[in-house]
Amino acid sequence: MLEARFESPLASLAAPTDTYVSMREIAERGMIDLRGSAGDRKFMAAAKSALGVDLPKQPRTTATWGDVRVFWLSPDQWLITCPRAKAQEMADQLSKDLAGIHSLAVNVSDMRAIIRLEGEGVREVVMKGSAIDLTHGDYPPGTVRRMRFAEIAALLHVVEDNVIDIYVFRSFAQYTWDFLRKAARKGSEVRVFPKAG
Amino acid sequence: MLVVTCPVCGVQGEEADFHYGGQAHVRRPATSDPVNITDEEQRDYLFIRHNPKGLHFERWRCDRGCGKWFHAARDTVTLEFKAYYGITELPPVELQQQAKGPWADYFKSVAKAK
Repeated sequence: MLEARFESPLASLAAPTDTYVSMREIAERGMIDLRGSAGDRKFMAAAKSALGVDLPKQPRTTATWGDVRVFWLSPDQWLITCPRAKAQEMADQLSKDLAGIHSLAVNVSDMRAIIRLEGEGVREVVMKGSAIDLTHGDYPPGTVRRMRFAEIAALLHVVEDNVIDIYVFRSFAQYTWDFLRKAARKGSEVRVFPKAG
Repeated sequence: MLVVTCPVCGVQGEEADFHYGGQAHVRRPATSDPVNITDEEQRDYLFIRHNPKGLHFERWRCDRGCGKWFHAARDTVTLEFKAYYGITELPPVELQQQAKGPWADYFKSVAKAK
């Protein structure tokens, strides 16, 4: 019998050497889409018992517990990232704990690709594709938001000051990779932006 | 290009990050009386929109952000946003008082119903 096997959309690509920030795909993270009402105490408590951490209620923030990270996406939607091997088990656990509560937890690990940018100037590289001001104090490490990036829908996660993860739908992975590679090409540094903070 | 702020997730972005959802606070005649609706009323509800010079109440969606709908009051002359408020809410009282046309009637009738 054939078994479904995960293949990373960017596996065949080598890490570029001609960019001024480093780029690589993160294929080992799993993702769970969680929906429910932040105002529902039962839901919040059940989610906490399954995840080990309170769902963040503040817009655009993240919460971390061990290797589990929860992203706030909207008042009734969260994205949970965890090691890929644990995702299905965790989604099942969530569904079990949330039984009877109006909510939804789905393993969407194969839905998106994650590209990690690292190095001095990552914020500038991302700004080449979007209209948001990443040098603003609104974007400290831990910030997460969805945005329009290079004309497509993307999710931005500021991991550290100089580390940014971009989540895009899988079918856009190659496009995003090519865009970033071009935007980050050595010699194309802008250097007019102040440091974040 | 307009710069819009989402009252739900708080992000500020350019117009293309959002989606314009048309005139706000349009009353659906069939809601209050599903039986006796005239063709004219239904036509006006579906197709006739108010297009004032000045204060305009409208709906927006935080399209590439949190995905939620919200309301905004905007001046169509200066393009200045006067207020943002929730999708189930009414505009601030001072803007309700400045409202003209169908909005003035709408806000008055809602206040009366309360």
